[in-house]
Amino acid sequence: MAGIKDLGVGIGWRSEIDLTVERLPGVDFVEVVAENLHIGHLPESVTLLLERGIPVLPHAVSLSLGGADEVDLHRVEHLGAIAEAVGAPMVSDHVCFVRAGGLDSGHLMPVPRTRDALDVLVANVKLAQANLPVPLALENVAALLEWPDGELSEGQFLAELVERTDCWLLVDVANLYANARNIGTDPERFLDEIPLERLAYVHVAGGEQHGDIYHDTHAHAVLPEVLEVLDELCSRVAPPGVLLERDDNYPSDAEIESELTAIRAVVDKHRD
Amino acid sequence: MAAPTADRGTRVPPEQIGYLAGGPGRAAETALARLMDAGLVRVAREGWVSTVHETELGETTAVETSILLRLSKPVRFDSVVRQAAKSPEMRALHQHLRARRLTRNARPRLAVWWLFLVIGVVLGLAAFLEPWTLFGAAGFLGIAFWTYGAKPLTRAGREALLRVDTGNRVLAVAVEGFRGRIGNRPVGDHFGLPQSVVKTLPRKGKQQRRRARSGAASSAAGCGAGCGASSCGSSSSCSSGGGSSCGGGGGGCGGGGGGD
Repeated sequence: MAGIKDLGVGIGWRSEIDLTVERLPGVDFVEVVAENLHIGHLPESVTLLLERGIPVLPHAVSLSLGGADEVDLHRVEHLGAIAEAVGAPMVSDHVCFVRAGGLDSGHLMPVPRTRDALDVLVANVKLAQANLPVPLALENVAALLEWPDGELSEGQFLAELVERTDCWLLVDVANLYANARNIGTDPERFLDEIPLERLAYVHVAGGEQHGDIYHDTHAHAVLPEVLEVLDELCSRVAPPGVLLERDDNYPSDAEIESELTAIRAVVDKHRD
Repeated sequence: MAAPTADRGTRVPPEQIGYLAGGPGRAAETALARLMDAGLVRVAREGWVSTVHETELGETTAVETSILLRLSKPVRFDSVVRQAAKSPEMRALHQHLRARRLTRNARPRLAVWWLFLVIGVVLGLAAFLEPWTLFGAAGFLGIAFWTYGAKPLTRAGREALLRVDTGNRVLAVAVEGFRGRIGNRPVGDHFGLPQSVVKTLPRKGKQQRRRARSGAASSAAGCGAGCGASSCGSSSSCSSGGGSSCGGGGGGCGGGGGGD
């Protein structure tokens, strides 16, 4: 695939806010959590959006491509089937693992940034790609810890992942902000190191500070600081798409709309 | 989002109009409509109702507050209405309407009420020949009056309904219910509700026929087919009977949504 076509500004489709998503002005595309959808009976709202010509991108949370366990091909096949059902140009998951030794973490766990871990990730990504009908994009996660003995920065790690697998990148600027706050990483260095020409789209989300920890909750308003990271990204590259993620404590339609407007303003600022 | 429109156009609050027009079920629908109108709750396409995350709720009625408190997690649209219709807050609303003399205890009309009337008239005419029959005439006419029944709405209650502006979408729900129509447009459309959600509520006609069959409130006008406690004989029978004594199951006391 030569490049990702312009997606615009979108929002994560969630069943709780489906009617809101349908009636919000200026929603150019949506993302659905693949594990929440079932082949054969897509939600009526998703079907309606498809009929309107709104691109629907499946986003997975359970492939655990950074894990040492064998990739569960049933999950990969489900993701691929959802992609075909909604006619998606790509799918995505995270650079993380969510289970090991038969235990499920219930959380997106960061991968040790060692060459050995990268080899495992690359092998798993290639296996997933071979079983998917569309390109795969991978997202940076928010981490509350860094594994010891890391050999690469997060940007270097992802750059090498892209080089070896030809995958796309889904950059979550809220996660970049969270990592900067919690483990002292540098978002600008991250953006310097990743191949921006392989950017599929961008995630933006809200969070909240609890004591010394910033929690990437997806249940609070988007902070201005997160939009500043987006601004920094947009100053370097025009992202094909930017998507607002909200997973809980859904605010009013007006508040969601204003967050989308704020995101669009940042994107448009660099396009003018 | 449309600006809240609930409190324009009538002196009786929408929830009370709903009660007068369709009983506790309709009042519950109206309370939910008001919360939607104020942007405090949202309804999903599959019929789940959830609260909108707001720090400031603004002014809410007791019934509205009880609905919000039950929405700590999403609840089905029809369940929200049913639970609110059976709530203690709804019984308190009924008592309030009684206190305002907008409603009264309804009495079902007996099929043989006219027989007492005829006997009373005959005895009245007979009083020209035998004056002592006048006492019997008065008694039978009194029985005829009593068995004729009484509508649940007082004159003030009926007048309150006449003044309602159904151009207001919350009042449209109060008068017609989410399943009703204003002009050619379904009331639910004014809230962007899919018909699949609206149809989880009992149909107006079906509710009325069910009540008519049960004989619960054949003489009623206003309050749907009975103002909750009025048509059920007593408020306690509504609250504890789970619908068996009033309305024939389903919504119970009009709580299933149509309320009329």
